[in-house]
Amino acid sequence: MKLDKVIAVRKDKTIYRDGDVTIKVFNENYSKADILNEALNLARVEETGLNVPKIQEVGMVEGKWCIVTDYIEGKTLAKAYEDSPAMLDDYLKLFVEIQLDIHNKRCALLTKLKDKMRRKISLSGLDATTRYELSTRLDGMPKHIKLCHGDYTPTNVILKSDGTPYIIDWAHATQGNASADVARTYLRFNLKNDSDIAEKYLNLFCDMSDTPKQYVQQWMPIVAASQMAKGKPEEKDLLTHWASVCDYE
Amino acid sequence: MRKQTAAPAIVDSVESLEAKIAQVKAAQEKFASYTQEQVDAIFKAAATAANTQRIPLAKMAVEETGMGVVEDKVIKNHYAAEYIYNAYKNTKTVGVIDKDDSFGIKKVAEPIGLVAAVIPTTNPTSTAIFKTLISLKTRNGIIISPHPRAKNCTIEAAKVVLEAAVKAGAPEGIIGWIDVPSLELTNTIMKEADIILATGGPGMVKSAYSSGKPALGVGAGNTPAIIDETADILVAVNSIIHSKTFDNGMICASEQSVIVDSKIYDKVKNEFKLRGCHFLNKKELDMVRKTIIINGALNAKIVGQKAAKIAELSGFEVPAETKILIGEVDSVELSEPFAHEKLSPVLAMYKSKSFEDAVQKAEHLIADGGYGHTASLYINQVTETDKMADYFERMKTCRILINTPSSQGGIGDLYNFKLAPSLTLGCGSWGGNSVSENVGVKHLLNVKTVAERRENMLWFRAPEKVYFKKGCLPVALDELGSVMGKKKAFIVTDSFLFNNGYTKPVTDKLDEMGIAYTTFSDVAPDPTLECAIEGTKVANSFQPDVIIAIGGGSAMDAAKIMWVMYEHPEADFMDMAMRFVDIRKRIYTFPKMGEKAYFVAVPTSAGTGSEVTPFAVITDGATGIKYPLADYELLPKMAIVDADMMMNAPKGLTSASGIDSLTHALEAYVAMLATPFTDGLAVEAGKLIFKYLPSCYENGANDPKAREEQAHASTLAGMAFANAFLGVCHSMAHKLGAFHHIPHGIANALMIEEVIRFNCSEAPAKMGTFSQYAYPQTKAKYAAYSDAMGFGGKNDDEKVENLIKEIAKLKEKIGIKRTIQEYGVDEKYFLDNLDAMTEQAFDDQCTGANPRYPLMEEIKAMYLKAYYGK
Repeated sequence: MKLDKVIAVRKDKTIYRDGDVTIKVFNENYSKADILNEALNLARVEETGLNVPKIQEVGMVEGKWCIVTDYIEGKTLAKAYEDSPAMLDDYLKLFVEIQLDIHNKRCALLTKLKDKMRRKISLSGLDATTRYELSTRLDGMPKHIKLCHGDYTPTNVILKSDGTPYIIDWAHATQGNASADVARTYLRFNLKNDSDIAEKYLNLFCDMSDTPKQYVQQWMPIVAASQMAKGKPEEKDLLTHWASVCDYE
Repeated sequence: MRKQTAAPAIVDSVESLEAKIAQVKAAQEKFASYTQEQVDAIFKAAATAANTQRIPLAKMAVEETGMGVVEDKVIKNHYAAEYIYNAYKNTKTVGVIDKDDSFGIKKVAEPIGLVAAVIPTTNPTSTAIFKTLISLKTRNGIIISPHPRAKNCTIEAAKVVLEAAVKAGAPEGIIGWIDVPSLELTNTIMKEADIILATGGPGMVKSAYSSGKPALGVGAGNTPAIIDETADILVAVNSIIHSKTFDNGMICASEQSVIVDSKIYDKVKNEFKLRGCHFLNKKELDMVRKTIIINGALNAKIVGQKAAKIAELSGFEVPAETKILIGEVDSVELSEPFAHEKLSPVLAMYKSKSFEDAVQKAEHLIADGGYGHTASLYINQVTETDKMADYFERMKTCRILINTPSSQGGIGDLYNFKLAPSLTLGCGSWGGNSVSENVGVKHLLNVKTVAERRENMLWFRAPEKVYFKKGCLPVALDELGSVMGKKKAFIVTDSFLFNNGYTKPVTDKLDEMGIAYTTFSDVAPDPTLECAIEGTKVANSFQPDVIIAIGGGSAMDAAKIMWVMYEHPEADFMDMAMRFVDIRKRIYTFPKMGEKAYFVAVPTSAGTGSEVTPFAVITDGATGIKYPLADYELLPKMAIVDADMMMNAPKGLTSASGIDSLTHALEAYVAMLATPFTDGLAVEAGKLIFKYLPSCYENGANDPKAREEQAHASTLAGMAFANAFLGVCHSMAHKLGAFHHIPHGIANALMIEEVIRFNCSEAPAKMGTFSQYAYPQTKAKYAAYSDAMGFGGKNDDEKVENLIKEIAKLKEKIGIKRTIQEYGVDEKYFLDNLDAMTEQAFDDQCTGANPRYPLMEEIKAMYLKAYYGK
């Protein structure tokens, strides 16, 4: 494996390309369990038949853990509509279609979305009252078992030159309620200040899946709290605002 | 014995909560043995203590939660103590709480056990007072799960009640609480409790219902208030302000939107302004929209805040004393933030084009988020009853308040004194709740019903006039003219009787009295519905004021049906023919008879008893189906039993109808509804039949004494079965007649011996269901009958055997053959139809009164024995 062609650099990992494989190299401080879990998630999602980069190897390179997968040649959906803004609506439609396709899959051994959210709420740093409100809200949500990507954004969809879309980055995949997954995507748009696209996306999703908007909205304070666990200071105001709601009494 | 666990000092973990649960449960076990007096003393002491602490608790609540108004919370605490005490101080909650000795019913109240109480932030002290008080009154233990934002004041309120209760004699630790609330502990207590009093949002209510324990949960409200054009604007606007500002709008029943008729819109708006409400301009409206709702959910920061504070949070200023922020909006969709529940002094105002438009908007707002809670209407309640009815029919809410501030009105006993006071308002199935009313002590009790065995009331009914004696006919008929002044008589008979002059004694008498008459003489045996319709046509054109039926069962039955159709052409025949279990509980109410015509029955054969019975059988000519009608409305008004009318009856008729009357007596005597009143008649009938029927058969008109006694016997037996009913012998005979055209009396004669043996069983497969019929006892009853007939025998078995023998002898004497086969019924045809006949006999109206409930197999076996004679 040659680590000379860098595709991307993140806070605690670097991604390389070597021929037809992608090598994701994690920093030394990265949790071994998280790395192996990400690899396992990907292996499990592979079995659903979705277009995902197949995992080739999990190993060590230069004393660091890495995950080796197929390299998918193409451009991300984000880049695609950035390059041709006039096509935004078409790309968003494709974006929702792919997400609906994901939600149609089942992956019985993945972590339960509600368990993950429960853990994240307790790590959110919010005050006890708000955590209690949000935990209660979460507890009352329906239990579903749909495959959820967990970080479904246009940067995680790659369009091959023939137009075939591939979905990457399954580190946060869970099984649970699709609306939570949608609320998270909606939040990610808003965090990027793309609130117009966020609204368009949400309306499109609700339309295409025949889901009432308020059903998705019920998840927003919960996904906001879960995002707070990441502890990004620039996101704190918006997330706190979103999380500070109360149930009717 | 329950494991004794030391009471935990502080409940902050599942372990300490389990210990607390054990402690409260142990206390509750003791409490369960307290008397009403002890409970009432504790209830009073606890209510008094809570009342005394109303101000400190209110201050604590506002300080800790940062929501609401101290003075209003004082009212709520005061209310929770005083009104709840007052409402339930005399309510029985211990032991026998209700009884009715004549019906033998008692209601016994038992505590449910451990109540899990979830307390909200909006009413943290008053709800705690309310729930602990009603738990004490019902001898329940209670563990409170406070909201983290209000835990100190909620716990303090519970402590106040607990200390006073214990001081007044309640067991130590009867009230417990979670000191450090968490969802895990709330879920634990909900799973461990016996019942959940959950007050909270949809999430909490869902948790409660999914805990697997019965829950009294309440949900969200989104109360719309319609102000109709007829409303008193002054009352309406000020009531809404009074309600909406109460505790800064935190009561879940408070108005969230007001829908105002366009004709009075400006006046209403001016009144709101005059009283210190602020109407938002377009810019402010958008600012408030963004503030109150975040992604479709209520912003926690505005709950229970003053109007000025909410304006400030939105980014503009209003005077500090501003009462309500009012947003004038059009949309009732959830995309409009003002259409949501706001739990603050923020109000949506809609303009309605008409009352219908207003109701539609209200329906939509309730569907948005207030299903099952409360709806409000301001209207002229004197003149607008139709609109009010339309409103309460259409609102899917469990409280509909008229001209009442909904915050204070919904919790009850303040603006209406029959609405139960409560701080837990049920929202019915619409709100996912198990109760739809205001929750009170009755919901925390298990009420046991102690039902003692009682016997049915029985009756004896007969025609108001039964005239009898050979030669009595003209004397009896005289009354129609001289006393009743009847003008027109409709005579119903059959052609044989008509042609042989049987109607002549009647018409002669009518002529003599100057009563006009017309005669319908086309009744055939097994009269049909079509025949009854024909007769009714004649009656309709003649308009009689008396109907005289002359004949056997057929003529009398047909006349009864004509009587019904003549008096009640609207009555549905199929309804009247509907089968029933108990004549007093039948679904169909028979029409009142006798208002147009008086009914006189003159029997010409001694057997049917129809002159004194409430029964009539009619056949649908098209389908051949027989419809037995039964109702005391069908009782003739006058029966005239004159043996002269029977003197020349042919032998066959004499024997068939004579034996029919004996089976009437026998079945009525052992029927489950038999009483001493009918037994006497049945015995007397039997004696006369055994003694006189053979001579009637042999000598006919030559033994007028025998004719007369048999005539009386038939009527006696008729009165017996008119009240005690018949049994499975008649059920089977009816179907033998229908399938094989065996005359009715003969069919009964063929079955009766089998039926006696069948009914005699001391261990029947199933006995009949009737309170009076306590155990299988029919053998003794037959033995008593045999004794009364003087047939001898050393024991019951012999006596019954002798009875059967004597019946067989009697049958032989009057020329009745022994088996169905001997009556020429083809064996193959009989067997082919046996199952159908069996099932229909089982379902016959007569089966229900039989003392032994027959299985179909058993009926079939009886048929087979009666067919082959072995």
